[in-house]
Amino acid sequence: MTTTPTALASTVDTRRAPRPIRPVRSLGTLTKRRLALTVRSPQSLVLPLVAPALFALAIAPALANTIHAGPGRTAYMTFVALSTAGLLIPLNCLFSGLGVIVDRQQGAMRELLVAPIRRSSIVFGNLVAALTLTAFQVVVLIALAAARGSNYTVGLRALWFVAAAVVFVILMYGLAEILTVRLPSPVEYIGAVPALAIVPFFFAGSLFPITALPNWLDAVAKILPLTHALALFRYGLTGPSGVTALHNIWGLHNATTMAILSMAVLVLYALVFVNGAIRVFTKAGTS
Amino acid sequence: MTAPSPAIEAIELTKTYPGDVHAVRGISFQVEPGEAFGLLGPNGAGKTTTIGMLNTTVTPTSGRALLGGRDVAKDPMGTRAISSVVFQDAVVDQPLSGRRNLELHLRLWGVNTAEGRNRLHQLAEDVGMADYLDRPVATYSGGQRRRMEIVRALLSNPQVLFLDEPTVGLDTRVRHDLFDVLATLRDRTGVTILLTTHYLDEAERLCDRIAIIDAGRIVACETPANLLGLLGDEVLEVRVDDTSTAIQALRAAGLPEDDILVIGSTVTASLRGSSSETVLHQLRGAGVNVRSATTRIPTLDDVYLRLTGGHITAAEE
Repeated sequence: MTTTPTALASTVDTRRAPRPIRPVRSLGTLTKRRLALTVRSPQSLVLPLVAPALFALAIAPALANTIHAGPGRTAYMTFVALSTAGLLIPLNCLFSGLGVIVDRQQGAMRELLVAPIRRSSIVFGNLVAALTLTAFQVVVLIALAAARGSNYTVGLRALWFVAAAVVFVILMYGLAEILTVRLPSPVEYIGAVPALAIVPFFFAGSLFPITALPNWLDAVAKILPLTHALALFRYGLTGPSGVTALHNIWGLHNATTMAILSMAVLVLYALVFVNGAIRVFTKAGTS
Repeated sequence: MTAPSPAIEAIELTKTYPGDVHAVRGISFQVEPGEAFGLLGPNGAGKTTTIGMLNTTVTPTSGRALLGGRDVAKDPMGTRAISSVVFQDAVVDQPLSGRRNLELHLRLWGVNTAEGRNRLHQLAEDVGMADYLDRPVATYSGGQRRRMEIVRALLSNPQVLFLDEPTVGLDTRVRHDLFDVLATLRDRTGVTILLTTHYLDEAERLCDRIAIIDAGRIVACETPANLLGLLGDEVLEVRVDDTSTAIQALRAAGLPEDDILVIGSTVTASLRGSSSETVLHQLRGAGVNVRSATTRIPTLDDVYLRLTGGHITAAEE
């Protein structure tokens, strides 16, 4: 091995006093790291998209053909296709959580834990990365569904869709991060995914309005965050007909009030889950 | 002018895990700036827990830890900013290149880009990893990965470097190679090192002082030379059929009981000026069947075994 004394000696004198690392800078670094890791495993980008895309492209039209004929067909296809975002977001967020488990078991998590950064910024870095990837996937999904014949109304109200999707990603990622601590084994974690990402999908007004459910299940559906997210998705992207989903939850007549109430429910869930995620992550980082 | 703070100061550090598991029982030590300090001990002695309390990943049950005069509990970010850790096992992003892993450290430790990249280039050249810097870490050998982790730890120019059994699982050649790298980098950077290891030769080679830790307590803390001096100039090692009788005979020969160590059928005793021939004569005279006998100078192994009463294994703590 060759060594060059003068080279390393020059590093000695530059030892600096520690200075706090700006949170925004560490957040950017951690987000880029997570995105770089995800890009190197393309399957993690594609796999969560497969089931929702299949729903939007094949199952939604098939259901529409079976249940509705004539003018109602497109409306129903759009109804189901839009629901697939409610399948994609939980799946993607929960799969993102797997990355945290890999970080702990085989990755650089301990290096991050001894870095001079706030430990909460590790959670937020992963969250921003999950948000970025999910946004890309949702856009692809909506575009595919539109190409297949779903009929969306894009106007200012689409902002409700965007806001609801963002908050729903935040709350689902918070839940995923909590799960990575509570279920640190990948096998246990994967086992919980269907219960959290798929089961609620069938009771949240994705394939049929929640009013079609038995009364007790209708009440359960109203406390599911996915029900509120889907209602806001529809309100944002399907024009006046989208108000029905909100009305099925709140029974009011003012659409904006109902949208605000559903958004408040989502924000409340998001605050609870993200706060919980930061707490359990920070606690798990120190024994 | 006030004296500089110790680089590391542990004051009655204690860690008790749930279930009344006493991992560390009130240990205290100081490491001066630029000193290399070794923590030696058997599996479960509390070495890794001690490092964890110093690098903020383990919360002490009681006691205080200071790095560069900063209280670890009160200023965790400040103490993390002046320290780095090389962990027992791989703590890297395997799919990313070595360069990306190193750049991540630079950014997280807030080293400005030009200075950091310059240092990265210099250190990579100096440890001979420039050729594989841009390959994914997943393709590195164990030794290459360890070099990368050592370079990473030094990138932020830390005041304190924690090396937690850095050569576990590596073959002898790679171990020696890495210690050569560490000794070179230490000489040039003046970094304070806290090393935990099972390998006494590593501690002897790198460390100015060694603390032997057993069952969560420090049982000795000396320079390697002083530790070796604990057993005098010469030890006798005999293999016998009946160790009990041998011990009685050695006591009768005037050898201090504390200096007699039995592992299996091997009895080791510090001669402390006694003649080996005389001691062997007394053993045989007591009816002990001596199958083999060797006299040699004491090693750190002997000191370690005397102080901890156990074997050192290469298994992870």
